[in-house]
Amino acid sequence: MAAVKLPRLRLPASPVENSLEGRAFVFSGFAVSVLAIALYGQDYVVPAVGLATTALGHVISYRGRMLKRTFRGQVVLASLVFGALAYFLADSVLAIFGGVLPQANFAIALVAVTSFDLKTRRNCYSSLWISLAILYLAAVYAWDYVFGVLVALWAAYLAGFWMATHLRRMEAKLNAPPAALGTLVLGALAAGVVGFVLIPQPGASAPTPLVVSLPNFVSFKGQLENPALPLVQISGDPSGATGSIDLHFRGRLGDTPVMYVRTGAPAYWRGLVFDTYRDGSWTSSNRSFVTLQPYVPARLLPPAPPHNLGTFVQVFRVLRPLPGVISAAYPIQSLYAPVSALREDAYGTFHTPDVLKPGQTYSVVSFLPNLSADELRKDTFAGGAAGQAPEYLDAGGLSAQARSLAIQAVAGHTDNQFDTVMALTNYLQGNFQYSQQLGHVPAGRDPVDWFLFDVKIGYCEQFATAEALMLRSLGIPARLATGYSTGQYDSVLNQATVREQDAHAWVEVWFPNHGWVPVDPSPGFSALAATQFPNRWAAGGVARLIPRLELGAPLAAIGSFGILGVIPPAVAIALLLVIVWAWLRKRHWRGRVRARPGESELLQLYELVQRRLGRRRAPPETPLEYRHIIRSTLSPPPPGGGLGTGAMPLDSLLEEITEAVNEGVYAGRWPDPKAVRELSNRLS
Amino acid sequence: MHRVIVGKERVVRLAVTGLVAGGHVLLQDLPGTGKTMLARALSTSVGGTFRRIQCTPDLLPSDITGSSIFNQKDLTFEFIPGPIFANIVLADEANRATPRTQSALLEAMGEGQVTVEGVTRTLKRPFFVIATQNPTEFHGTYPLPESQLDRFILAAEMGAPTDAEAMEVLARREHGDPIAELESVVSLSDVLELQDACLRVVAAPAIRTYIVALLQAIRARPDVLLPASMRSGVYLQRAAQAWSLFEGRDFVLPDDVKLLAVPVLAHRLSMRGRARADVMIQELVSSIPLPPLRQH
Repeated sequence: MAAVKLPRLRLPASPVENSLEGRAFVFSGFAVSVLAIALYGQDYVVPAVGLATTALGHVISYRGRMLKRTFRGQVVLASLVFGALAYFLADSVLAIFGGVLPQANFAIALVAVTSFDLKTRRNCYSSLWISLAILYLAAVYAWDYVFGVLVALWAAYLAGFWMATHLRRMEAKLNAPPAALGTLVLGALAAGVVGFVLIPQPGASAPTPLVVSLPNFVSFKGQLENPALPLVQISGDPSGATGSIDLHFRGRLGDTPVMYVRTGAPAYWRGLVFDTYRDGSWTSSNRSFVTLQPYVPARLLPPAPPHNLGTFVQVFRVLRPLPGVISAAYPIQSLYAPVSALREDAYGTFHTPDVLKPGQTYSVVSFLPNLSADELRKDTFAGGAAGQAPEYLDAGGLSAQARSLAIQAVAGHTDNQFDTVMALTNYLQGNFQYSQQLGHVPAGRDPVDWFLFDVKIGYCEQFATAEALMLRSLGIPARLATGYSTGQYDSVLNQATVREQDAHAWVEVWFPNHGWVPVDPSPGFSALAATQFPNRWAAGGVARLIPRLELGAPLAAIGSFGILGVIPPAVAIALLLVIVWAWLRKRHWRGRVRARPGESELLQLYELVQRRLGRRRAPPETPLEYRHIIRSTLSPPPPGGGLGTGAMPLDSLLEEITEAVNEGVYAGRWPDPKAVRELSNRLS
Repeated sequence: MHRVIVGKERVVRLAVTGLVAGGHVLLQDLPGTGKTMLARALSTSVGGTFRRIQCTPDLLPSDITGSSIFNQKDLTFEFIPGPIFANIVLADEANRATPRTQSALLEAMGEGQVTVEGVTRTLKRPFFVIATQNPTEFHGTYPLPESQLDRFILAAEMGAPTDAEAMEVLARREHGDPIAELESVVSLSDVLELQDACLRVVAAPAIRTYIVALLQAIRARPDVLLPASMRSGVYLQRAAQAWSLFEGRDFVLPDDVKLLAVPVLAHRLSMRGRARADVMIQELVSSIPLPPLRQH
């Protein structure tokens, strides 16, 4: 009887599995988002490693696209995902590699892990969507038009992937007429150039193209009276440029959140700065300003201070109406605030023409100068000839009693300016009490003397004022800075919640080689109020590349979730149970029968041969059908008759293996492992 | 047998498979395509007794089973066995008989026994029914009910001959009918031995899993009115065993199941609307994944 004709197999449509272009698009989309993280998150290690791993994963998953998923493989992938989660927790707490975007690192790790298992269109799309999420995270820190280019690229890759999969399903080739495409691109470029030349441009610095919010064209001449900057009595100008601080008055401060700050490092959010003290009240002597565009690039601002460790990004989200003062860590590298205009005052603080409304955001990149005690000790005394304006040395009528107290406090610590400043600061922190239950200053009594010698308790501005004036009396230039202290900093979210009661005043001391250094005399605060990266490793050059893990770190991270902290362990336990259950179920299915000798070897060899042949057996195909198809596709008999010579040995080998597999699987007669080894020797 | 039947290896083989599997075969096609010829050739080749029932609307059950006739010499009732008491029975144009007669055939086919006038008589082994059915003629026919169709292990269509085959048929018929020269090639005991051997063919658990998956898939199809019965699964396995015997194997391959799925299953499914059972089964067979090769 003649051989029975084999039916043609109807394989399920698999547009992605075989589409190399589709994979290229998925990978490129991911690469774009990783680039965005590297550019804006200033995080390089995990993105680079993730990108390389993902490339490897794509290669492996493309080669094994016809392979069935194995249970072991899935478990390995799941555990890798857990590993990524653990890394995320550790990274959130410790800022391994100095990253400011642990969430993005986590997403990158996820994509890298799952790229080893990209089988279906759905998998590829989810990879793309995670890339979009990464892009979104980068957007938090990005504002320039390059980011727009990245987004456009990502969208193009999404469209490309979509098109590639559908073309593959239609079995069409991705093909475009080069002449038409070239004309299109060149034409678009030419039109753009012509448009750029002909359309009138603003004369000053070009506005950044990515200002999303509409300017509201308010001038700097508002009449609003706004009391929301708690320490400062604003007069007339809502930009806060004409405020003053009067030590005779003090409003009560609640715990209402004022703003959220997404930041790479916890810092003091500096607002107004005052340099002139008269009769219990601080004012600013220099009212000059520069008006700037809402996007202030780095080239318009002072260059990086010496001993700069790096930059970090802060994104402020205003929660209640605030005066138009841009609070930010100092010194600022560049900033973007979606308002109609910005004004920089003589003290480096930025103002907006109108009040900051709830929901408004602005982003600031700040330098992080290396202000360690050792560094500052090397610095010299500023003295009176440091080129500083005389008002920074004007003790403003400080009493003789206070002056002698200052000399007494720093006695024995006058080797260098830093030690002197710290001696006074520690003296104030140690001998005076911080209290919010402060009565009114008696009429006729100097507020500083009243604080230093009568009540010996005070607010931050009493401490700061006393320190600033006493430093000035010692010949050290100092001024009063106001704003907010860090607030409640969540190192997992990299976010600080700033409340009304975080309103703060501190002292800035001039060091000739370091500029204005923040010093905080209030008890309970670090005396040297310099900003630092969240951990000391992150700040230390090469050390930033060395991961540092502590046993307590994941626990601390979980603990910071509060009551929600039960969720990660619960999820972990549940997943563990599911895995155990699945494993047990699989065991149950298998019964207690062990694989017969020769079985695994033969089936492994069969898989190997399939891989070698470049086309795997589809699930509905029987081994015999598979062999017939391979024979008809692999070596079509030449017209002269006889089989193609090249594929001959492989074909006969496949025939033998197929017979052995049939015999083993369907008759239970597995070959001798030795025979299998012989077969595999022939294969190699 | 190929001296008689030109081409049609597949149908011949299916018919023999039905015989070896111990079932009954339904041949359906237009008149004059060789159904009866195939049945006669098969019975002649096997040897054993052969009877033919030409079904007509006035055929009575007793015409099939036989009846007791009063013997006037002995003054006793004597049972005269009907044509069903034979090794190979050809029920020609089975759909022309009345349902009553068809059901008499049904009992014989199903149980291998006949009950006439309260006495149950066992039929001889091997007992093999080849029924033919003309699917296009409807006038004066009683289409076989599903329950009866379910008793045929497989149904085959003869199919139209190719030009070359037709020429060959004409050439052979030039000087008479070759069936007259056909001799039996296997004895009845050979057939019984083959049937026993068929039962010893191994159907691995993977094969059973595959058959069950196929039946479940048919059940899940929305265009199936009456799903495949359990019996059809049993028959599929048995037919696959018989088929692998022909292939010289002592174990069933999924290829056998795939090949036999349409002949064994298609005729017993009722489809909704214009859906065709054979097309659907072919689709399922080429899309249902095999059980994994690795089972441990």
